[in-house]
Amino acid sequence: MTFSWKSWKTRLLMFAAVVGPGLIAGEGGNDAGGIWTYSVAGARFGYSLLWAMIPATAALIVVQEMAARMGAVTGKGLSDLIREEFGFRVTFFLMAALVATNFGNVMAEFAGVASSLALFDLPRQIVVPLAAAAVWTLVVRGTYDSVEKIFLISSIFFVCYIFAGILAHPDWKAAAFATVTQPETLTVRNYGHVYVYTLIALVGTTIAPWMQFYLQASIVEKGVTVRQYRASRWDVIIGALFAAVIAWFIIVACAATLHLTGQTEIRDAADAAMALKPLAGEFAYLLFAAGLFNASLFAATVLPISTAYAVCEGLGFESGLDKKFHEAPVFYWLYTLLIVLGAGVLLLPNIPLVQIMFFSQVVNGVMLPFVLIFMLLLVNDRELMGTHVNSRGFNIIAWITVASMMGLTVAMLLTQR
Amino acid sequence: MSVVTLSELLGAAVRDPSGSVRGRVREIAIAPQDHATRVAYLIVRTSNGERVVRADAVKSCSPSVRASSDAAAWDTHTPSDGDLLLKRDLLDQQIIDVHGRKVVRVNDVELDATPLNSHLILNVTSVDVGARGAIRRLAKGLVPSFTLRALLEKIPPRVIPWQFVDLLETDPARRVKLKIAYEGLSKLHPADIADIVEDLPPAEREAVFETIDEEVAAEALEEIDPKVRAAIVESLDSDRAADIVEEMDPDAAADLLEDLSEKQSGEILEQMEPEGREEVAHLLEFGERTAAGRMTTEYIAVPETAVVDDAIEALKHFEGSREALATIYLTGDGQKLVGAVTLVKIAISSPAAQLSDLSEPYIACAPDTPDDEVAALFDKYNLITLAVADEHGRLAGIITADDVITMLRHRR
Repeated sequence: MTFSWKSWKTRLLMFAAVVGPGLIAGEGGNDAGGIWTYSVAGARFGYSLLWAMIPATAALIVVQEMAARMGAVTGKGLSDLIREEFGFRVTFFLMAALVATNFGNVMAEFAGVASSLALFDLPRQIVVPLAAAAVWTLVVRGTYDSVEKIFLISSIFFVCYIFAGILAHPDWKAAAFATVTQPETLTVRNYGHVYVYTLIALVGTTIAPWMQFYLQASIVEKGVTVRQYRASRWDVIIGALFAAVIAWFIIVACAATLHLTGQTEIRDAADAAMALKPLAGEFAYLLFAAGLFNASLFAATVLPISTAYAVCEGLGFESGLDKKFHEAPVFYWLYTLLIVLGAGVLLLPNIPLVQIMFFSQVVNGVMLPFVLIFMLLLVNDRELMGTHVNSRGFNIIAWITVASMMGLTVAMLLTQR
Repeated sequence: MSVVTLSELLGAAVRDPSGSVRGRVREIAIAPQDHATRVAYLIVRTSNGERVVRADAVKSCSPSVRASSDAAAWDTHTPSDGDLLLKRDLLDQQIIDVHGRKVVRVNDVELDATPLNSHLILNVTSVDVGARGAIRRLAKGLVPSFTLRALLEKIPPRVIPWQFVDLLETDPARRVKLKIAYEGLSKLHPADIADIVEDLPPAEREAVFETIDEEVAAEALEEIDPKVRAAIVESLDSDRAADIVEEMDPDAAADLLEDLSEKQSGEILEQMEPEGREEVAHLLEFGERTAAGRMTTEYIAVPETAVVDDAIEALKHFEGSREALATIYLTGDGQKLVGAVTLVKIAISSPAAQLSDLSEPYIACAPDTPDDEVAALFDKYNLITLAVADEHGRLAGIITADDVITMLRHRR
C-alpha cells in the first residue's frame, strides 16, 4: 500500500469542515456539575473509580454517534423527529421535562460561575448578572460561525485540567493501573453504598440528555450530510475521548492530593480548588479555578439556547436567531427566562449551591433513559434512516447502556433518602 | 354543514347499521387522483385486522362514526402509495404555508362534513397550526369532550386554508401520484421562496428544487445563502442542475459553480447549452473577490452612433436581469467603451436624439479591481451600475448595485 498524501489531505480538509459539534457536545458533559462530580470521586475514592471512565466513554461515544448520525441522515433535529414519529402529546411532555431538567442545569452552571469567581473574591451579586448578560448578548448578537469558534476555543481551554493534574504529581503508574483494572471487591465493600452512588453520578454526568439535542441540532445547522458523515463521526469520537481525558485528569488531580492527605469530603468544585492550593501549589489552584469558570460559562451559553431550539422546533413555534423578537416570541422568551431565572435564583440569599448542583445531576440521570429510548426507536426506524439504522452490535451496546443507565438511576433514586 | 377535526375522528368508534361498535378509526385517506380534498375512505382497526370503510358508506361521524354497510362488507386494507393519509402524511408534519410564506407544523386538520342523500361528504378545508389544535390534542381523552369543545371555542383559531398548503414529499414518484407541484410556492417572490427553502431539511429542499419550474428555481437559488445553495445543487442530478443554472444570471451561476467541487461544476457545465456555458466558464476564470468575479455579462450596449429609438429597441429584446437595465452603454470600434446613458435620460428624450449627446462621463474599473475598491466606487459616485473594462478599454461586463449590497452584507 502506498501512502497517498493527497487523499490524506482531502480527508483532513473534510474533517476540518465538520469539526465542532462533537467536540463541543462532548465537552458539555464536563460542566459545573460534571467537574463537581469528578472532584468528589477523586477526593473520596482516590484512583478506585477510574475504571468507570472506560465504559462511560464507550457509552458516550455510542450515544453521541447515534445523535450525530440521525442529524446527518434526516437533516432534522431530535425534537422534530420525536414530534413527527410520536405525535404532539408525547413531545409536549418530553419538552416540558426537558425544560425542567435544563433549568436545573442552567442554575448549576451559574452556581459554578459564582463559586469559581468567589475564589478570586468576586462577589456573587455582581458576577452572576454580568455572566448572564454576557451569555445572552453573545448568543443573540453573534452568528452561528462566530459562536461556534468561541465554543471551540473555550473547549481547548479545558486543557487547564490536564496541567492541574500534572502539577498534582500523581502516582502515574497506580493511576494507569486503576484505569484498566477493577478495584478489589474488599476496597469497594469498605467504601459501602456511597461508592456505588458516586459511580452513578459519574456515568450520569458524562452523558447528559441536553447534549444529544444540542449535538443533533448543530450537525443539522452545520449542514453535515450523509457523505460527510464519516468525517463527522471522528469529530464525535475525538470529542468524547477528549472529554474523558479531561475528566480523568480531574479525578487524578483530586485523588493525588485531597484523597492522599485525607481531605475526602469536599463541598463543591471550588472547594476542591481551594484545597489543592497548599498541596499542588498556587498555579494548580489557579488552573483548577479558571477551568471551572470556563466550563460553567461554556455550558451556560450552550444550554439555554439549545433548549429553546429543541422546544420550539418540537412544538412548532417559530425559532431561530435570524428572526426578530416579535416574529419568534416564544423562542426568545424561553431563552431569556431560562437565563434570567436560572441566574436570578442564585441572587437569593442563603441559596444552597451544592444542593442545586447535586439536584441537577439527579434530574439529568432520571431524564436520560427516556431520551435514549426515543433515540433508539428513531435510529432503528428503516423508513427514516434507510441503510443507516444501527447495526446489531451497536444496538446491543446501546441497549445495554440504556438498561444500565435505567438500573443505575433507579438505584440512585432508591439510595437517595 | 359542520366542522370536524382529524384528531376527533382518529380513534373514534365505528358502528355498523345495528349500532354496535365494530372498530376504531386509524387513518383517513384522500385519493388525490379522484378528488383533491374529498375523503375517499377511512381505515378502521377491527378485530379482523384493518378494514376499509368507503366514504359513501359513512352516515355520520360525530361523536362516533356510523357506517351504512355491515362490517362483513368492509374490504381488507391494502396500502397504496397514491393515497394521502391524513395522519401519517399531514399530522405533526411540516408544510409550507403559502399565504404566510413560511414553514409550519400541523397541529390538526379541519374537515367539513356535509350530508348528501344518505351519506356524508367529508372535505379537508384547512390545517390548524395554532394553540387550538395543540390543546385539543393535549387534552383529548383527559377532559370531557363537551367541556373541551367549549374551552376551545375561546381560543382564537390559527388555520391555513387548504388551498394555501403545499405538502412536502421527498419521494419523487409519490409526489407525482399525490399531485404535489408546489404551485403556490412557485408564485411567491423568489426571495420568499429562498427564505422558506432555507428553513427546510435537506431532503425537502431537494424535493422543492426537483419539482418547481426551472426559471423560478434559478431566481430563488440566487437569493439563497451560498452554503445552502451549494448543498442543494450538489443533491440534484447534473442534468436538472444544468437546466437551472442555465436560467441564472451568468455572474450568479459562476459564483455558484465556484462553490462546488471541480468534478461537479465540470459535469454541470458539460450539460449546459454551449452559449451559456461559455459565458459562465469565462466568468469562472476570474477571482471571486474581484470586479470580474462579481460582474455579469448580460448588459445593454449599443453603438455610439445609435439614437434613443435604437436603445429602446435593445431594451425590448434584453433578457438579462432588471438591475442591469439602469444604464445603457455606448461602444465604439472593437467594443471599446465610449459612453453611458441612464435609463431616465432615454425616457425623457425624443426618439431621434443622438445617444452620444446624452452620454455622461462614465465610471469604469479594471477586471482585477478588488471588492473593496468596487464598493468604494459605488459609494463615491452613487452608482447603480459600474462598467468593467479590460486593458484595451473594451467593455467586459457590468456590476450592479444589488450585487454590491449582497457582497457587503455577506462580509460582516
